[in-house]
Amino acid sequence: MTKKIVFLFLLVSCLARVGTLRAQTPAPEAQPPAAPAAAAAAAPSTGPITQPDLKAAVQPTDRTNGDPDGSKTGTANDIAVSDPAVGPTVTDVLNQIGANRIGVNFGWTLLCGFLIMFMQAGFAVVESGLCRAKNANHTMMMNFMVYGVGMLAYFLIGFPLQMGGAGAVANLGGTPVLNSEFAIHLFGKDIGLFGNTGYLLMHHGTYDVAVMVIFLFQMVFMDTTTTIVTGTCCERWKYAAFMVSTMFLGAFTYPIFANWAWGGGWLAMLGANFGLGHGYSDFAGSGVVHSVGGLTALACAFILGPRIGKFTRDGRPNAIPGHDIMWVLTGCFILAFGWFGFNPGSTLALSGNGGLRASSVAVNTMLAGMTGSFGGILYMWIRYGKPDASMSGNAFLAGLVAITAPSGFVNPIAAAIIGLVAGVLVCLSCEFVERVLRVDDPVGAISVHGTNGIWGVIAVGLFSDGKSNYGGSWNGVSGNVTGLFYGDASQLVAQLMGVATLIGFVFVMSFVLNLFVDWFVGQRVSAKSELQGLDVPEMGAVAYPDFILKPEPAMAV
Amino acid sequence: MIVGLAVTFLGFVIAFVSLGVTDSTGVRMVMVLAGIVVCLFGIMGVITPAYQKTWIWKR
Repeated sequence: MTKKIVFLFLLVSCLARVGTLRAQTPAPEAQPPAAPAAAAAAAPSTGPITQPDLKAAVQPTDRTNGDPDGSKTGTANDIAVSDPAVGPTVTDVLNQIGANRIGVNFGWTLLCGFLIMFMQAGFAVVESGLCRAKNANHTMMMNFMVYGVGMLAYFLIGFPLQMGGAGAVANLGGTPVLNSEFAIHLFGKDIGLFGNTGYLLMHHGTYDVAVMVIFLFQMVFMDTTTTIVTGTCCERWKYAAFMVSTMFLGAFTYPIFANWAWGGGWLAMLGANFGLGHGYSDFAGSGVVHSVGGLTALACAFILGPRIGKFTRDGRPNAIPGHDIMWVLTGCFILAFGWFGFNPGSTLALSGNGGLRASSVAVNTMLAGMTGSFGGILYMWIRYGKPDASMSGNAFLAGLVAITAPSGFVNPIAAAIIGLVAGVLVCLSCEFVERVLRVDDPVGAISVHGTNGIWGVIAVGLFSDGKSNYGGSWNGVSGNVTGLFYGDASQLVAQLMGVATLIGFVFVMSFVLNLFVDWFVGQRVSAKSELQGLDVPEMGAVAYPDFILKPEPAMAV
Repeated sequence: MIVGLAVTFLGFVIAFVSLGVTDSTGVRMVMVLAGIVVCLFGIMGVITPAYQKTWIWKR
């Protein structure tokens, strides 16, 4: 009997406890009825927002018990007000809407910039994996320091040259302080050559939140360019020469061409000034980033010459396999991940002016990478009987490189075609570079980035479908970018003009600057250091001290 | 190599000059393509043979 009484007591206590808990979380219908004014304000209104509307919208919120479903967080109460005593005004609401849009775009662009920064890790492991173990520390250290050296050059000189005359970037709230472009008057038009404001991010009012976003995003693009070169030149590049060469690339070569394409320079204005489509259009940098990097790599490879043992005396190439294919393919995945910052992030927006096209850009990027790897694998399988792993990785990257420029202008089918062509093209280009030019490119960067960057630039002029809309105009020309296959041949001319500039100007400029480096610093290590491996002579330590590296097999020279 | 650089740069000049000499898209297309061909000749036809003479074991 006693047990029954105790059991009943416990049962009643538990039920009472549950009732108490429920009472602490009132159901929606238990909330106090809304005031008449609030009820009136809740009715749909077709007129402009009035002050009483705002007063009614702001209600006291009880969050003493948290807000697990989020219904009480981010309400009218959270609108930033200019005068708390007055409460929210229409002006406050409009300002908040604008701040929200720009905040979303800032967040998106910064996040994508962080993703691109992580691509440095991808490049580092791809290049280190494709070199021999005796050079792994040296190659990794080049990829490590290229980030800092390039950034310093860009901070001191490069950014003002590139973006100093870019004008207002509407998606980031406008950047009116970037308004100084040096131009010459030629053919009756202003030919913009380089920007001239923003030095140290302080000059001429450039200590500005929107300018900071642009700097970060553009800086990581520039760093991608510089790290392309280290792959081609690895295993024989003097470390001091690498640093000086990278300074030149980050300070001058990249920013000049980037200004012409993205900073309001003459290539971007080909449409507005000379009626060539929408001017040179490069959505995320097949030309600006990858071709500049690939062509600079070619120039440096000419100056450096091939590694000892790469070619026989009669010019036949020897295969020099890398030391870690795991790193190579892991790095390719890291790069592909970073590419989702590279391409979709180039909308510089998720809100307004075509920001929602970021989804289309992302899908195009995925598709081209996929078809690129298929193209490369199939080519190698058919031609050599095996799906070569390193070439599969390069074909994957080639697809991504090629879609970088057109990603914002083409449809998914075109993206798949562009990637497939790139996957085959990179294999053909690698063979051409090695067997015809007899240029030693240990990682295939000239083909992946140079050749396929140019293919991407041309693809814009062919496949752009005129459906993209980034605020009603592009490069100062109203309407949307449309390629040859959709009726605008002049866009292809603008793209080819970009190609001619890349090959005829950027390559030459890179070559001349690196000749200076060769004369004053010396680009190539000694033959003794090269045979020993650069880890100890250049860096003072090997990458794998716990392992004994077996001697290389004798190669025909 | 210096000659090769000059020829390569000449290709760029040919393409660039097309902006001033004509308004025709077709003519510009031809001139730009000609410029690209000249650029490629400068690299493959002039710089490459010169470069192959400078390999480290041929110096």
